[in-house]
Amino acid sequence: MKALCWQGKNKLSVESVDDPKILSSGDAILKITRTAICGSDLHLYDGYIPTMEPGDILGHEFMGEVVETGPKVENLKVGDRVVVPFTISCGHCFFCKTQQWSLCDNSNPNAWMAEKLYGFSGSGLFGYSHMLGGYAGGQAQYVRVPFADVGPLKVPQDLNDEQVLFLSDIFPTGYMAAENCDIKIGDVVAVWGCGPVGQFAIRSAFMLGAEKVIAIDRVHERLSMARQAKADIINYAEVDDVVEELKWMTGGRGPDACIDAVGMEAHANTLPGWYDKTKQSLRVAFDRPTVLRQAIQACRKGGTVSIPGVYGGFLDKIPFGAGFAKALTFKMGQTHVHKYLRPLLERIQNGEIDPAFVITHRLPLEEAPNAYQFFRDKQQECIKVVLDPWAQAA
Amino acid sequence: MTITTDLNTQLSKSNSRPQNSRSKKLSAALLLGGAGLAALGLSRRGWQRISLAAAGAYLGYEGINQTRAFSGTARVSYTIGREPEEVYRFIRDSANWPKFSAALKMDPQRNSFILTLGRPFGMKIHSHAEVTDEQEGKFIAWSSLPGVLEHRGVVHFFPAPGGRGTEVSVALEYKIPGRMFSKSLALVRGKDPEQSVRETLRVLKQIMECGEHPTVTGQPSGKRGFKGAALRVMYREPQPEPPSAPGEAQLAGD
Repeated sequence: MKALCWQGKNKLSVESVDDPKILSSGDAILKITRTAICGSDLHLYDGYIPTMEPGDILGHEFMGEVVETGPKVENLKVGDRVVVPFTISCGHCFFCKTQQWSLCDNSNPNAWMAEKLYGFSGSGLFGYSHMLGGYAGGQAQYVRVPFADVGPLKVPQDLNDEQVLFLSDIFPTGYMAAENCDIKIGDVVAVWGCGPVGQFAIRSAFMLGAEKVIAIDRVHERLSMARQAKADIINYAEVDDVVEELKWMTGGRGPDACIDAVGMEAHANTLPGWYDKTKQSLRVAFDRPTVLRQAIQACRKGGTVSIPGVYGGFLDKIPFGAGFAKALTFKMGQTHVHKYLRPLLERIQNGEIDPAFVITHRLPLEEAPNAYQFFRDKQQECIKVVLDPWAQAA
Repeated sequence: MTITTDLNTQLSKSNSRPQNSRSKKLSAALLLGGAGLAALGLSRRGWQRISLAAAGAYLGYEGINQTRAFSGTARVSYTIGREPEEVYRFIRDSANWPKFSAALKMDPQRNSFILTLGRPFGMKIHSHAEVTDEQEGKFIAWSSLPGVLEHRGVVHFFPAPGGRGTEVSVALEYKIPGRMFSKSLALVRGKDPEQSVRETLRVLKQIMECGEHPTVTGQPSGKRGFKGAALRVMYREPQPEPPSAPGEAQLAGD
């Protein structure tokens, strides 16, 4: 089959590799019909996620048709059309049973590596480093899905692929970010980063009752997509100080909740921004927590900072004192995708949202290396790339 | 939890003497090789002199070191979402061992079990051991029989608070002959005894909670190249084959 393989920093190639096989009794094999490039894939592309190996197959947002099932699989049969959560969960451990699916105890075969770095390991993920399982990803023609009775969601025939594909990650991720804000009627929510997760966070915040959402970015097409969702916007490249601007826009209170939908590769044309950039280039830090600092500083007293953006290591110069002084609540973590699949599918079926709004590019798999580059560099007005692994390159 | 044993004092007494002939042979070979290298080094000039002599000295040091055993203690606690009696019964039945450990085997003839630590340089490091004390659903204590590898310990099954199943607590003491052997063993397998116990308990938990052992061994990949292959060793991949074939484990599901 064809698969997109990581070969090093900024180096991807579409290669011919073996088809995946059933390796454990609960596995299923999917023929992938649509797959997408996630913003967090760019952290791999840029070489900021440790424990990648040349040859790793990338991709954790995908859907497809079941072509084979392991002897223990009961809920799926050949021919079923499913969308698959990017987190792999066993369905039986304490965490799965308490809806904390991305913290699954049993799904990471390389848990020892994450334990060394983080004390404990979260669940395995598709195509996202060996520390998080080393599972081959889904930017390919076929994929093996472990614990196939637990994760995959069967998709109703009246919904097309593009409407449900993002249930695999970015829709639940944006939704959980908003849910973590514990939004009350009348709340003002600020969202840093208007990439795909930010876009879903903005729309989810409105769905959950926010009165006003303030979207922060510098890329025009992303800001205008946010504006289409009726968000107010701040172009951070055009204001002196985002924190002051937010105070100005919220009657001096600050946003009730702040969502950091940016994570470890924040950009800022400020002194702290350049400081972070230098440290990361020198490899003395994994992360550039510029946005997180702003979010903590801007959040109103007693508010919530919700962090769907990915961080990897030891964050420098975090104003924890401000967090303490203002009695902030911090919520973060990988998305418990399984928990949101059915409720969000219902919202799609009810016509509350059509997640396909975020797609700007539809390409064959061969174009993926190129697409990573222009998605990362925000060229061609790119916001979200969907790949068809079976389409022929033009 | 305390293990009542005086193994530690025995260990320290016997630390200076090698117990098996293999270890002695290796020790002698290392000393000879070290001396040879050092002599060769001293006959050269410049950086070769220094580096060869240093390499020789290191080998000699390892040769002397070889006469000491690698000993220590390990303790690991793991919560498994099953009742203590159930976990106890599962572990006590040697028919289940292949499902979670490749190192444990029953020896029906001697009514003991065999623990194999590995085969560094083709030499199998293993020992016979027997259960010395136990209480159903509470604990199992074991001790190795006289031999190359010494170990003893106890595994307790405590009910976990909040109905979260069983806290399986393993505490053990070990003495492995041949310091360099043991260290290379730890390096090659990436596992010191504590990590080995942890990984065994992890698989036991996976088998008992989900009925299968998740694996990535055997999945496709692109070209690994030299760097990829080197990283796979560093990340301890490919892992040993999953202890049970697909579909064999029959414990899952509630």
